[in-house]
Amino acid sequence: MKRIAVLFCCLPFTLIAQEVLEPLTTPSAPAATILELQPKVILQPKSYQTLETALYSNFLNETNEAVIPANFALEFTPYWTTNHGLSLMDYLYPETLADQLLRNSSFSLASTQSFVLGDSTTTNGIGFGYRTSFFFPNTADKETTRAAIEAIQKDNTLKGRIQLEAFDITENRKVANKSEFLLWMDAVVIRELKIYSSLTSDNDLKAILENITKESRLLPELDLEHPDPFIDQYKEIVDNAVKTKLLLSNFESYLKNRQGLTIDVALASLLVFPTNSFEFSYLPKNAIWLTPSYRFSRTLDFLQVLGVLRYEWYLDEFYDRYFPNTFTYQHTWDYGLSAVSEFKRLSLQFELVGRQRSATIPAGFDAMGNALFRKEKDNDLQYAGTIAYQLTDKIVLSYTLGSRFETILNPSETLISLLCLNFGFGGPNMSDLELLKE
Amino acid sequence: MRKTYRYRDLSYPVEDSTEVFLTVTYISDGNLGKTLVYQPHLGNPEIENSGTVSIGTGAQLRGRITICLTEIANLNPNEDEISLSFSLNDTPLVAHHNDKSEENNPTIVLFIRFPKP
Repeated sequence: MKRIAVLFCCLPFTLIAQEVLEPLTTPSAPAATILELQPKVILQPKSYQTLETALYSNFLNETNEAVIPANFALEFTPYWTTNHGLSLMDYLYPETLADQLLRNSSFSLASTQSFVLGDSTTTNGIGFGYRTSFFFPNTADKETTRAAIEAIQKDNTLKGRIQLEAFDITENRKVANKSEFLLWMDAVVIRELKIYSSLTSDNDLKAILENITKESRLLPELDLEHPDPFIDQYKEIVDNAVKTKLLLSNFESYLKNRQGLTIDVALASLLVFPTNSFEFSYLPKNAIWLTPSYRFSRTLDFLQVLGVLRYEWYLDEFYDRYFPNTFTYQHTWDYGLSAVSEFKRLSLQFELVGRQRSATIPAGFDAMGNALFRKEKDNDLQYAGTIAYQLTDKIVLSYTLGSRFETILNPSETLISLLCLNFGFGGPNMSDLELLKE
Repeated sequence: MRKTYRYRDLSYPVEDSTEVFLTVTYISDGNLGKTLVYQPHLGNPEIENSGTVSIGTGAQLRGRITICLTEIANLNPNEDEISLSFSLNDTPLVAHHNDKSEENNPTIVLFIRFPKP
């Protein structure tokens, strides 16, 4: 997982070749949000993808008309580009908050060539973002995890001991043919199942034994010179009989929806080049998010509730100069709730966010010549619903409809209508080095 | 069908009286598994995840192929690969690597001979 630069050059190939690891969610990179490519306020916790990119199709050109620009966002989690030898328990339960901070830190970058200034000229804008998250499992989560790992390890022992014997008797020529092999292995299977199977019922054990016996009799003759195909087929019969895949898939499903509290922290800044010159830039807008979310227990496992607290601050100098006919509040607080429900590939999201803005405005001078100021405050409301469909585990198509906060440039245009396609990419892979591997 | 990765013709020369220790080291993040060695008179030694275990003396291992088998799965959605290494008395023996897209729950089998030096 060390060649991220190579991956980025080979995106089309990687998209096809990479494994289905973790479903994507709709894009929510802080860097894209500060650029207003993404109008929603509540940032969902980041997906597990090491690298995410998103193509947006909702921005304005110089005549304030919606176009399909080449806007671009990228979010990258550096920790997972190298191996650390973490055990599963270390991975699931980091010892300290510092470990969580490090592992979950991701950096985002978004750019546009169509950032519109107050006089309708377009300019270049870049958004920089950072976020991390902290997960606090509850007692039920720890108990579920401990029990699942214990069951999987017991199953590993059962499968391992059966296979060990199968390999040993073929490699060391303790049997001469299929009949002798099956006779030997029947005794082994009975012995190991009684010791290591999690089944307690004699009837269940008997059913498994009968299944293995019946299926294994249908195997082709054992060729001791080339025993691998025979052993592989025998292994599959045992795997199916003890339902080994079920244990893992159940646990994997649980890990994707762990019960507990997640707190996401994000920061983002907007860098604008008003004259499209690199030497002349402003940092007109910054934001910080705090997003707690809670995933409910199994009966309500389709539901996740998120809260948001966001603070934005604006640079007066920039807005006074480039938006002379508009009024900009210097400080903005957003607070709200979002509910997300997932039904297999389909997910529905709704958010309702309130906004409080304030500004200190010059109000002339007093008789002594001292500058006077007055405080201006305002409230606003944003609501948006998103329907997302997971086309593949690496591609999500989403549509958002709603009403956004009043913008600085076009306060009367509050309609949100955003179609978005989000792509996710896992880390790159090391090439095989082992010469002996078959 | 779950894949089995076989490493054949492995050899580790050892004196009769030398005790042999097998070490398994998980390299990629979030692996869960168990390694077993066919050595019935020692109760088939096991290693849970990473670790080291004695698999017998040179004399006990002589004259046959010793089977070492690992059942492993990776449950870390951030991870794309399964990577681990095997060594005998601190001497590297096998470094296994496979992409999870190829197999997320593989069986890895080592066939090791222990001849005299």
